[in-house]
Amino acid sequence: MRNLYIITCILVLISCEKEKATNNVVSTQSDVLRDLSLNVYLSTYENLSLRTNKFHQDVQSFINNPTQENLDLCRSGWKSAREAWENSEAWLFGPVSTNSIDPSIDTWPVDFIRLDSVLSSTAVFDNTYINNLEESLKGFHPIEYILFGFNGNKSANQITSRQKEYLLALSENLRQLTLDLHNSWALQGGNYVTEILNAGSSNLFPSKLSAYQEIANAMIGICDEVANGKIGDVFTTLDSMGEESPFAKNSMVDFKNNILGVEAVYLGNINGSDNKGMEDFVRMYNLSLDGKIKQKISQSKAALAQITLPFGRAIFEQPIQVQQAIDAINSLKTELEEGLLPLIQMHVK
Amino acid sequence: MSIRTKFILSIVLVSSLIITSCRKYNESYEDPDEEWFSGGSQTFFDGNTSGFDHAFTGLDARQMQNHEVGDKAFDAAFVTAPAPLNSGLGPLYNNVSCVSCHVNDGRGKPPVNGESLSSMLIRVSIPGANSHGGPNGIPGFGGQLQQRSIAGKMPEADVQISYTNINGTMDDGTPYTLRQPSYTLNNAYTSLPPNYLMSARVAPPVFGLGLLEAISDYDIIKYADENDMNGDGISGKPNRVWDVLTASYRLGRFGWKAGQPSLLQQSAGAYNEDMGVTNFVFPVENSFSQIQHDGINDETEISDSIMHAVAFYMQTLGVPARRNAKDPVVLEGKRIFNQIQCASCHIAKHVTATDMAFTSRSNQKIFPYTDLLLHDMGPGLADMRSEFQADGYEWRTPALWGIGLTQKINGHAYFLHDGRARNLTEAILWHGGEAEASKNKFKKLSADERNAVLKFLESL
Repeated sequence: MRNLYIITCILVLISCEKEKATNNVVSTQSDVLRDLSLNVYLSTYENLSLRTNKFHQDVQSFINNPTQENLDLCRSGWKSAREAWENSEAWLFGPVSTNSIDPSIDTWPVDFIRLDSVLSSTAVFDNTYINNLEESLKGFHPIEYILFGFNGNKSANQITSRQKEYLLALSENLRQLTLDLHNSWALQGGNYVTEILNAGSSNLFPSKLSAYQEIANAMIGICDEVANGKIGDVFTTLDSMGEESPFAKNSMVDFKNNILGVEAVYLGNINGSDNKGMEDFVRMYNLSLDGKIKQKISQSKAALAQITLPFGRAIFEQPIQVQQAIDAINSLKTELEEGLLPLIQMHVK
Repeated sequence: MSIRTKFILSIVLVSSLIITSCRKYNESYEDPDEEWFSGGSQTFFDGNTSGFDHAFTGLDARQMQNHEVGDKAFDAAFVTAPAPLNSGLGPLYNNVSCVSCHVNDGRGKPPVNGESLSSMLIRVSIPGANSHGGPNGIPGFGGQLQQRSIAGKMPEADVQISYTNINGTMDDGTPYTLRQPSYTLNNAYTSLPPNYLMSARVAPPVFGLGLLEAISDYDIIKYADENDMNGDGISGKPNRVWDVLTASYRLGRFGWKAGQPSLLQQSAGAYNEDMGVTNFVFPVENSFSQIQHDGINDETEISDSIMHAVAFYMQTLGVPARRNAKDPVVLEGKRIFNQIQCASCHIAKHVTATDMAFTSRSNQKIFPYTDLLLHDMGPGLADMRSEFQADGYEWRTPALWGIGLTQKINGHAYFLHDGRARNLTEAILWHGGEAEASKNKFKKLSADERNAVLKFLESL
């Protein structure tokens, strides 16, 4: 009888432990979605909005006092905003996609003939005018062209008054679009963030699985875009005209920031904060896969760092390093496709 | 065992085999597992942003590369010529890239909240037909209005859209409001004739089209019943349209009135008319003979290989799998959908033709929910503008697969050819003509039954 009592107690304890473990799993899966939504996605969009706002102020300062120092501040401001934007390309889903904000702020190439025409016109660059412009005439790259010039060495006194008017209008448009983007995610705004927070019972994510797949596919998507589009297309055709951010010679920084965006989602870590990310999900089931993904993120960053020339030159002068970067990022993509996605499929409901 | 017993056993065995065999080839036999696989073996279990953007499985390396080249070309934003990259936009155009209208390979929408016209365009013509039986373009405008132009050129006209509310009630007293659009052209660059016709069209989704292209003509035409010989109130008429490359008439399949016979011609026409980008199928600028023509001798503005790659990209986009296909409410909705005869035009299942040269879309059992035929949809939806055999009341039954993902992938739920319906219920309530009886049966349903039909549609 006593033995029976002991066995029963053990069975109850095991059962409770199992239930506790299951609860922990469910809790961790929810925590990952919560931390990614609030502390990576929303936080990055807020940061992007703050930085474009600061950039707009820098542009205003430059126009009021067009010194080289103020122009340099604008250039730094552009790069700072660009950093947050490129990070956020690791999750190109939701309003940035459905509201066509991505093409409105980051279309390449610039329509130079049209741009010349716009600048030589007598049009008033108000919000309505800018909103109706083609995507190839607004956003990061036309701004970059005005700030840096074709060769990246434009001086403050080379920027005409008409270019300054246009620059101011474009920076305001960029500020507004990124504010709209942040608001579309914000709890008190369009509230897209809640769709992910409530994955499993929300309209757009009827299961946690669908949210996890969306997150992982976006990570895979940006790896593919960087390796085979942004780098691969230009390298394969040896046509530097396909290079994004050529005027600021910022392409290599863009690529790195894309991969840092992937890393932020994986680690749940952005701007020094350490929250739950995809790694916390992966580590519950497969420590080996966790190690591999981290290793491939590191290798991707290291391979990009080996390209020391501006990208437009590197495709001709550092082809081995460029190919190694493509290979490293494709390898990361494969690990996410063949390791992370199946793990999600297996363990998230 | 006696000879007689052996004989009887043989008869029983052979009969069983024949019955089993017949059942195997009975098309009405339903395999419950098929519910999920809308695109046959080209079905993808991805209900997220990339749900409409999966390349076919089974493509060889060369085909996969072709698909990827087409994918990138689909995204390419064109700029004013001459330019070193993506040169050749306009001079007249509706948008700058394929993806600008077909966002995430999905559905366009009418402008809302002060937006400009982006993923929607206006076809125009005057009464009569051109030499091939197609719409008779307006002299000085052609068959499609381009409301945008490059610098120094005038757009053909501005488009103003207004809506008039139409109130109605379901049979259980539930009120609803539909909105009837009307279109006005302002600031035309030259005078428009007094009797011109307009037809607004939103960009349709582009996934799964290769599978629709692979259905044999016979398997489409077999559902045609132009004179309603079976008396069910549903006709179904094939469109016969002009194939530019073969200079012959073929079955129309693509576009809101089935005005295009192939994906190559459909996408080549879009390059030319929508973006002003000339190609080997349509090498003459849409502005030719108009004052906006740029006079630059740069035709064709995309290479033949890019044109083929984009068509191939569209031919090889798979279909998202159903969601909740076995949910009891969804199954009840499906039953009602069939019962109220929606399925008379929105035919669920087709089998693509055997094609040993293109095996990835060969002999696939697919569930697009369309008959690809023209139907009179009543005066409410009529544009009074004919397109080959399609008259002003007729529209091609659109495929319903993937329709439940529109909100998630495209961020809106505007349906029908001009996006006037703001949700699926409104889309159903706009059905008239041959579909009037089905619409009225829908209105007679209880709220729970209507909800079941919607849940079924959302699961597609």
